[in-house]
Amino acid sequence: MTETTVTVTGLDVELGGVAVVQGIDLSVGRGEVVAVVGVNGAGKSTLLRCLAGLERPAAGELGVLDRPPADEPGFWRDVVLAADEPAWYPGLSVREHLELMHAVHPSPRLEVGAALDLFELRTRADAAPPTLSTGQRQRLSLAMALIRPSRLLLLDEPERGLDPAFRARLATILAGYAAGGGTVVMATHDLDLAGAAHARRVTLGGAA
Amino acid sequence: MTQVHLVRAFIRTRTRGRRAPTWTDRYALIAGLALAVLSLGRLALVSVTSIARQAEPSRIGAGLALAGLGYAGFLALARAFGPVATSAADAAWLVLSPLPRRGVLGRPAAVLLLVALPGGAALGVALLAALGLPDDPAVRLITAVVLGVSAAAGGMATAVLAQSSQAWDAWLQGAIAGVLAAAVLAAVLGSGPGRHMLASVAGAPVSLGAALAASCAATAALLLRSAWGALERIPARALLASSTRAGHVAGASAALDPGILTWIAEDAHWRGRALRSRPWPAPLTRRAASGTAASPALALAWPDWRRLGRRPGRLSAVLASAALPALTAQAVGAASTAVLAAGALAAAVACTTGARRDGDDPSLARLFGIGLRPVLAARAVLPALLGGAWLTLALAGLGLAHGLPPGPWWLLGPAAAPALAAGALRMARRRPADHAMPVLDTPVGAMPTGPLLWAATGADLALLGCAPTLLALTGEPSGAHLAAQALCGAAALGGYLLRARR
Repeated sequence: MTETTVTVTGLDVELGGVAVVQGIDLSVGRGEVVAVVGVNGAGKSTLLRCLAGLERPAAGELGVLDRPPADEPGFWRDVVLAADEPAWYPGLSVREHLELMHAVHPSPRLEVGAALDLFELRTRADAAPPTLSTGQRQRLSLAMALIRPSRLLLLDEPERGLDPAFRARLATILAGYAAGGGTVVMATHDLDLAGAAHARRVTLGGAA
Repeated sequence: MTQVHLVRAFIRTRTRGRRAPTWTDRYALIAGLALAVLSLGRLALVSVTSIARQAEPSRIGAGLALAGLGYAGFLALARAFGPVATSAADAAWLVLSPLPRRGVLGRPAAVLLLVALPGGAALGVALLAALGLPDDPAVRLITAVVLGVSAAAGGMATAVLAQSSQAWDAWLQGAIAGVLAAAVLAAVLGSGPGRHMLASVAGAPVSLGAALAASCAATAALLLRSAWGALERIPARALLASSTRAGHVAGASAALDPGILTWIAEDAHWRGRALRSRPWPAPLTRRAASGTAASPALALAWPDWRRLGRRPGRLSAVLASAALPALTAQAVGAASTAVLAAGALAAAVACTTGARRDGDDPSLARLFGIGLRPVLAARAVLPALLGGAWLTLALAGLGLAHGLPPGPWWLLGPAAAPALAAGALRMARRRPADHAMPVLDTPVGAMPTGPLLWAATGADLALLGCAPTLLALTGEPSGAHLAAQALCGAAALGGYLLRARR
């Protein structure tokens, strides 16, 4: 198994005829945390979508875990994408969402109770996700992403809605994930979060 | 009031670029209204002239039950959607301002009244259709229309009062339950034991009906007056919530995507409800010893079962609605294939939330990382069970009500279940309507193909898969029909699962 999890060579992406990403090269090793930073519209989220196989590049080569990224179950067993808030299953509580992830994946990384404590959701375990605050829903999204086993985490602005104390905890969680052999690529505007997670910073300048 | 008038005039001048309505605008408005009145008037005339002079005793109970169910649905809808709601802009800027609230809400209240009046007239005609016109047709027609309009306007006024008061809300819920109970009673009486009683109601003197209509009208007037006074007291939070719902409804209507409406109702139901987490059933959780999941696809399908179990009222309503085909058959004298098909498919679609959620937003599905086909196959079990059970009950009810020739009709229900599940899943996973598709010119006007195809997606597969049952309904059921239906149903579901793509 190669030690490189993500390789990007000469990536160009156009959306509606407009170049949003041009000539990006990136290599991310196993156990590494990479923080993709840049101004709004620099192409951070687009890069993540390309790495998740959800956006077709106009030019360039992409490799994720030694294969081109593809939106198919085999790929998603190794890769986790946490971007915009997902649509929660109606009628299920916070705990039941986590238990569902637990039931589906054979070797979860965390027990449900431990995940509720780690993401400070214990007191809202019986609530329906739409009744949570923005920050609590973001914590649930991250808990769903991190309770299951994976080799690559793609996070789009994981700090969205989180209070400063939990951002510090998130940095520790991500550093721990990487220390366990996982790889993290996150788009972020929070340089403190990137620093605390010991992330290598990659700055996108924007195509236009 | 004057202040509101000034604010509205200011907004009008800004949004219309200070342009006063031209003669063309007025002509278009008047012509449109005249066309609507002519069309509705013709429809009303046809409906009234087709009413039998003497209603058949066997049909009175079913007809009254259908009218009662319609009225209960009207009240329930009014309660669910507000009923008083403003535009998003008014909710944001005028409701949360020192302007007199009744002035801000006067226009929406007038719209509610305009909705209630034709609805009430239709209710009155429906009552008349059930009871017949034995004598004095003009007086009976006027009496029925007054009764219907009073009931609708009074019901709408009660819904407005319920928006500002918990006590009135309890009254409204009681009224809905009472109307439902009366509808059930009418259906039971009409099925045999009380036909003579219903016949005596139909033959009641005109003066009695007129007195009843007059007292209803007086009660409705009192309720309308109270509701007008209550407009000032409707809390802003209730108005903002109903206005948000109205905004979603308007958006869904503009996008011609009624699917959004079900999410509005679903989210409104669960918002603020305390749930009690329960562990996942043991057979669906991973086996600790082997470390492998027992069945990830079945685990992913389980939320639909749990959601259905948490809404026992909804499940009861779905199953109770299986009596509708029998009621319709009694009321009109023949089994309605459309009611059967629509009901069975609606029952199956009611439990495909997981597939719909993942179709609309596949983020969670990607987190689970399971293949589409096993998940869809697992998710087909519940709609097949519910759709099949509904059709079985409906066919059995039709048989008991003599709406169908004698025969083991109910057997077709289980045989059609897989086809219903396939249609329901296809409907749940359909893409939004494509409004870029061409518009066809037809003899009845322009027909946009995008929304048409959207509406047909799902129903097409269900109808195809249930073709043997539909064919059997034109005659008598046979073993060949049953075998063909079993094969056709299995083929529809199998084919759908094989061809399923993300």
